[in-house]
Amino acid sequence: MNRLIKSLLVGFAGLAMTATVALAEGYPERPIGVAVSYGAGGATDFQARIVTMVAGNEDVLGQPMYIVNKPGAGGRVGWNWFATEAEADGYTLSAYNIPHFIAQSIKGGVQYSKDSFEPIANWGADPAVVVVGKDSQFNTIQELVDYAKANPGKATLSGAGLFVGHHIAALQLEKATEAKFAYIPTKGGGAAAMKAVIAGDVVGGINNLSDAFRAREAGNVKILAVADIERSAEFLPDVPTLMESGYDVDNASVNFRGLMVKKGTPQEVIDKLSAKVPEMFANARVVKRMKAGGSPMKIMSRAEVQAMWEKRQETLTELLAGL
Amino acid sequence: MEFLGYFGGVFEPVSFMLLLGGTIGGLILGATPGLSPTMAVALLIPFTFHLQPAQGLILLGAAYTSTVAGGAVSAILLKIPGAPANIATSLDGNAMAKKGEGARALHLSFLASGVGGVIGVLLLIFLTPVLAQWALAFSYSHLFWMAILGVTVIGSLDSKSFVKGLLSGCIGLWLSMIGFDDNLGAQRFIFADALAGGIHIIPALIGLFAIPQVMEMFAKGRANAAIEAIEVPKQSLLASIHELGQSMRSLSIGTIFGSIIGIIPGVGGQIAGLVAYDQARKFSPKKEKFGTGHPEGIIAAESANNAMVGPSLVPLLTLSIPGSPTAAVLLGGLIIHGIFPGSDLFDNHPQVAWTFINSMLIGQILMVIFGIYTAAWAARIARAPVPIMAAAVMVLALFGSYSVQQSMGDVYIMLSLGIGMFFLEKFGFSAAPLVLGLILGPIAESNFTTGSLIAQAQDGPIVYFMTGLLNMFLIFLVVASVAYSFWSNMVHGKSSKPMEARS
Amino acid sequence: MTASRLQHIVSSGIVLFVAVIVTWISFTQQPADAFLFPRLIAIFFIGLAVWNFIRAISGMAKVGEGLDSTSFINIVPGLVVMAVYVFFAAKSLGFYFASTIAFLTVFTIYDSVPLRDIRGWIKRILVTAIFMLVIYGLFAMLLKVQTPRGIWF
Repeated sequence: MNRLIKSLLVGFAGLAMTATVALAEGYPERPIGVAVSYGAGGATDFQARIVTMVAGNEDVLGQPMYIVNKPGAGGRVGWNWFATEAEADGYTLSAYNIPHFIAQSIKGGVQYSKDSFEPIANWGADPAVVVVGKDSQFNTIQELVDYAKANPGKATLSGAGLFVGHHIAALQLEKATEAKFAYIPTKGGGAAAMKAVIAGDVVGGINNLSDAFRAREAGNVKILAVADIERSAEFLPDVPTLMESGYDVDNASVNFRGLMVKKGTPQEVIDKLSAKVPEMFANARVVKRMKAGGSPMKIMSRAEVQAMWEKRQETLTELLAGL
Repeated sequence: MEFLGYFGGVFEPVSFMLLLGGTIGGLILGATPGLSPTMAVALLIPFTFHLQPAQGLILLGAAYTSTVAGGAVSAILLKIPGAPANIATSLDGNAMAKKGEGARALHLSFLASGVGGVIGVLLLIFLTPVLAQWALAFSYSHLFWMAILGVTVIGSLDSKSFVKGLLSGCIGLWLSMIGFDDNLGAQRFIFADALAGGIHIIPALIGLFAIPQVMEMFAKGRANAAIEAIEVPKQSLLASIHELGQSMRSLSIGTIFGSIIGIIPGVGGQIAGLVAYDQARKFSPKKEKFGTGHPEGIIAAESANNAMVGPSLVPLLTLSIPGSPTAAVLLGGLIIHGIFPGSDLFDNHPQVAWTFINSMLIGQILMVIFGIYTAAWAARIARAPVPIMAAAVMVLALFGSYSVQQSMGDVYIMLSLGIGMFFLEKFGFSAAPLVLGLILGPIAESNFTTGSLIAQAQDGPIVYFMTGLLNMFLIFLVVASVAYSFWSNMVHGKSSKPMEARS
Repeated sequence: MTASRLQHIVSSGIVLFVAVIVTWISFTQQPADAFLFPRLIAIFFIGLAVWNFIRAISGMAKVGEGLDSTSFINIVPGLVVMAVYVFFAAKSLGFYFASTIAFLTVFTIYDSVPLRDIRGWIKRILVTAIFMLVIYGLFAMLLKVQTPRGIWF
């Protein structure tokens, strides 16, 4: 049996080679998988489900996209799988989260870096925000920072994991305020971190704007500040940025989400995807659903994303060097 | 009583068709190896894009309730638990199916699911505000003790030898540590590339339960193939209902444990069935019959599984916190329609909230009717000739373990664990405690690590983990459980028990 | 049928060996923080494994039916087919093609109908075809799972 397979493999290897070249022509001819490195139901997962929902339309790609969840270790499991095991044939895409995967690759211990992947397009930008429970004694970011200065290491801040956007924001906040916070990474993503805030397990938390917006609507939390360059006019016009509050925290922690392919994917496939995917994100139905879900959109082309990745690589290397 | 006013919404033609479709589809998806309720609900989310919010939720709610019950079908007939929730069901259920009592096992499983499920949803309807506070009361230290409490059950769960039961549990705990460590991102025990992502629970379940089963069938060889085809009398529904009435103790233990454990975020669903099964056995005068095809085992496990469904949605609906992976997917389904759980849901979209809850109530009943209707037919699967069964389970194991994450690594892990488990079982180790270790390991570890970090910022680990009423109560339960295990091991362990052929 | 003392010694010896490796790795690998929990488990694991091994040597281990040579010889062909199917054929030949072959092979090996009987072959091929159609309908059509295609399908 084994020998048979081997001889057949050799015979068909030649055929397979020619097939790869021809593949780009009719691409895509079957459904396309999108690997999401976080669990089903998380913000990245359900946004990925929304933005890919019209892929099957004739004027978009003509083939549907389906989501495969590969959660674990703050995304490392999924991206490691994508960098090492996925096929570079354009039928397996992955959702990226910046700064997460770049920060993780800088810290090491993973088999991917910025250069393992080719961006296609960006669909969303979700800034990190500072939240406290609804009954918390803190009403402004200054009060929280003052508390942290008075009680070094006592101000616990929950977040979705180590070296994800929330952690980066916490590091930046510590650096800018010179106060010592205790960052608590929780297992179970942003939802678990938010639960810790609502239940009062921690003093405060860093979370996604979209999740925090919902939690505030539900009357569970107060949002103290946004870690971005400008306020979120659409969702939180009343919440100041950290910069306005006098802390030098830029947008390095903003969670950019988009699609990427593995390095080595045929150029024709990359070209086709980077032409069609931004259109797909901009589809009216997609935009409507994203807005209804409280998810801030930011559509960026392949070239813009490449520049953004470069810039993040630099800022994060600098920020994490001190650790 | 507000919910009564919204029953009309469930019986609108489109809604009712969706409810019916969701229930039947959910049963089929649930019975498919490798498809957990979470995945089934995630698969259905795209369909809800085209529906009204309430209709979409009806579909998801119906699918959730019936996939949980559907998982029992493959657990009973093929000994492939569809999800961790169905492990306990497979212990006695498959033994019954092998004896030709598959239809009876399925009847009892669906009836018990229905009773547990309806009570669970009623709890959701009437006690939501109280239960929401209860869910929030569980912090990291409490979840850690809950997991340890689960670990103490390991020694006594489906094992004839106390030492080997504990050892099986240790192997499971160790396997759960493989892969990236969740808190620090360090790599642990990664001997092969396939292990880099850790061991996913569903492929592990398929391997640990189904593969030894296939090899057991191989072991019979060709000659014995004909003997298996025993003729079985038809199981009447009335007899099943009567039998359920006789097993009130198991039914109430299952329902009570299922609904209490179901509320606790992050622990609930996976272990409710196993804990209820273990408790039902401890309280039963016929302890030794558990694991050999005892109907009460199925009743306890399945009533617990479905009783957990309603309460597990409490933190989601009231606080917008998903307490389980499935609830997280449902949250996504709500958000896509612009509905935010929490006060917004009940104040501004009561028709959505109550129609959803009511549909789960009706869905439970439809699920029982449809399940019972097909039970006699489905039970024939378990009586297929041995070579067909072996080949079919083998192929299903491949497809099931692959489709979870579309990963060949999971498939290799599945078969390797399965072959290892076959030999371990031959020497008195068993799969159930091993799986329990696999599930509880990460829960215990992550809550311990996170809790320790918080403890450092507060008054230190001893104060954090040991003080407080809830902590002390849970520690008391842990100590009591360990003491009970040792005591019963001393009393029963010495006398050699009759050896029963295990599958 | 219960396992012999030798079988028990061998099986518990293997478990002990695994426990030693786990313990050794847990206590030598870095970072130590990440191995705190594995260490805790390793202590219990090795303690129990030693206890279990002593029981096996002293003949106290009685649970488990063991493995007799007839069963083992019966298992081998099926196990070989299953291992080749899962570890090699499924990915290189394609899931559906490999599954069809594996199903038919296992069915044929363990079917009591003699190989010369032509009706036996018809039945086996028919059952295989129906089963694979159900699998295809369920996984490919209904659930839209993309399985590795390999050389064929």
